[in-house]
Amino acid sequence: MESYFEAIAAWGISRAINESAWIFPVIQAFHLVALAVLAGALLMVDLRLLGRGFTQQPVATVARDARPWLIGGIIGMVLTGIPQFISLATKEYNSEFFRNKMLFFLAALIFTFTVRRMVAFAPEGRFGPTVGKLVAIISIVLWSGIAIEARLIGLFS
Amino acid sequence: MAELLTPLHDLFFYVSELENSIALRESQYVWAWLLVAHIISMCLFAGTIIMMDLRLLGVGIMQTPFSQVQRRLFPWQVAGMVFSAITGAAIVFADPMKYYANIIFWTKMVTMGLAGLNALAFHYITEYTVVDWDARVVPPFGAKLAGALSIVMWANVIVAGRLIPYNWFQ
Repeated sequence: MESYFEAIAAWGISRAINESAWIFPVIQAFHLVALAVLAGALLMVDLRLLGRGFTQQPVATVARDARPWLIGGIIGMVLTGIPQFISLATKEYNSEFFRNKMLFFLAALIFTFTVRRMVAFAPEGRFGPTVGKLVAIISIVLWSGIAIEARLIGLFS
Repeated sequence: MAELLTPLHDLFFYVSELENSIALRESQYVWAWLLVAHIISMCLFAGTIIMMDLRLLGVGIMQTPFSQVQRRLFPWQVAGMVFSAITGAAIVFADPMKYYANIIFWTKMVTMGLAGLNALAFHYITEYTVVDWDARVVPPFGAKLAGALSIVMWANVIVAGRLIPYNWFQ
């Protein structure tokens, strides 16, 4: 497994990212802009599920409005995340925080596009408010977990 | 110019010598968790601001009238701003001289000020007529301008924030 990560770090493009003084920082910066869009799209719906925010609209309406920004935010995160990963592949392989981040990411993706999607788009009244609140809390915990672990990669790896 | 900045320099220097500032600077873990908390508060603040800006631009959240988007997100924007300001102030408090000499940090501060002025201008000029365009699919030019400026400025704040540690202009 480790040899794959070493091979990725040895790619010409990975080394080019590392050798430039500004490519990596600029990609990191736009990773955070994408994070803000993603966070907004997630929070709109999670707040609504918690009975806050746009309470004059049904949850499904809010979720439909948030959807393109949710998907766009995730795509933006992945596109700016991959170049960071390949340039630091060997470091990431050894980072407990990176592994935790990827586990949180996998869990968040699965949860968001199965359970959360089903509850948010369900006809009104199919699931009670308690289910909605639980879904919102799990969503916030999982997505925050990714951001927290990610920040720690840079500080302690 | 240099003389004008002396009081600011002295203030930053004074803070950097305080016992609490030194303790925070040398505490590896508290410092790290401040950075984590600053990112989380950024998500709350910038996330709720950007969603409102998309509505102003007429490109997103179109099934909710603008006034509702604004009113319902406002408390979360304020909470995000307060939390960001507290964690941000603590981060600067821990190592003031690192930030004093950093042009990217000051770019971030100035852009935040401009974004605040943009929000005020929108509030006192364009939002005054909100009843006329609240639920419209195509918001008026003033609303689009305020939304576009806000997104560009806050994105610049985020970008500058991330680039502070890479200060290339020493």
